[in-house]
Amino acid sequence: MRHFLVMTVFAALASVVFGAVAKDTPRERCFYGLKVFAEFMLIGLVLGWILYFIP
Amino acid sequence: MVKSEKAIERVEPAPPMAWAVAVAAWFVPGLGHALLNRWVRAALMGGAVWLSFILGMLMGGHLFSLSSSQGSSALLQVPPMIANLGAGSPYIICWLLDKGFADDLVQAARATYEYGNTFLLIAGLLNYLTMLDAFDIAAGRKP
Repeated sequence: MRHFLVMTVFAALASVVFGAVAKDTPRERCFYGLKVFAEFMLIGLVLGWILYFIP
Repeated sequence: MVKSEKAIERVEPAPPMAWAVAVAAWFVPGLGHALLNRWVRAALMGGAVWLSFILGMLMGGHLFSLSSSQGSSALLQVPPMIANLGAGSPYIICWLLDKGFADDLVQAARATYEYGNTFLLIAGLLNYLTMLDAFDIAAGRKP
C-alpha cells in the first residue's frame, strides 16, 4: 500500500471521529471534520518534506 | 460565589445507565451510540474504530501487552497497551487467539509494520473518544 494512501486513510478515520465528537450542529461537525482532515494531510506533507532534507 | 464554585454545583452525577452505555461503547465500538439510537454516529465512529483496527491487523501491526519476561522494560509496554486496550473486544479477541502479540521478526520487517502499529493504537484511542461521547450523551450532558 502506498504511503500517501495510508496517510490519507489514517487522516480520514481520525477526522471522522474528531468531527463527530466536536461541535454542536451537523454542519459545524462536517466543516470541523474536513478542517481536521486537511490539517492532517498538510502537516503530514510538510513534515515529510522537512524530513526528506534531513539526512 | 466564585465562578468555579458555580461550575462545580452544576455537575450532576451520571445515571447508572450512562456507565453501562460507556462500558458497552468500550467493549464493542459503536454499540454505545447504537443503544442510544444514534445510528449515524454509531456507524461513523464505530466504523472508523473497527476499520482502523482491521487495517492495523492486516498491515501486520503489533498489539502490546504486559510481559513479565522483559524486566523493567515491561513498563514501556504500558502506555501503548492502554491505547490498544481502548479498542475493547477486538483487542480481547486477539489476545485470546494470540494474534498480533508475538514478537515476530518477519512481521516486524514488513514495510507496513509501523503503520499497522499506529492504526492499532489509534483504533483504541479513537474508541476512548467514542466511549466518552456516548457517556456524555447518555448522561444528558450533550445533545
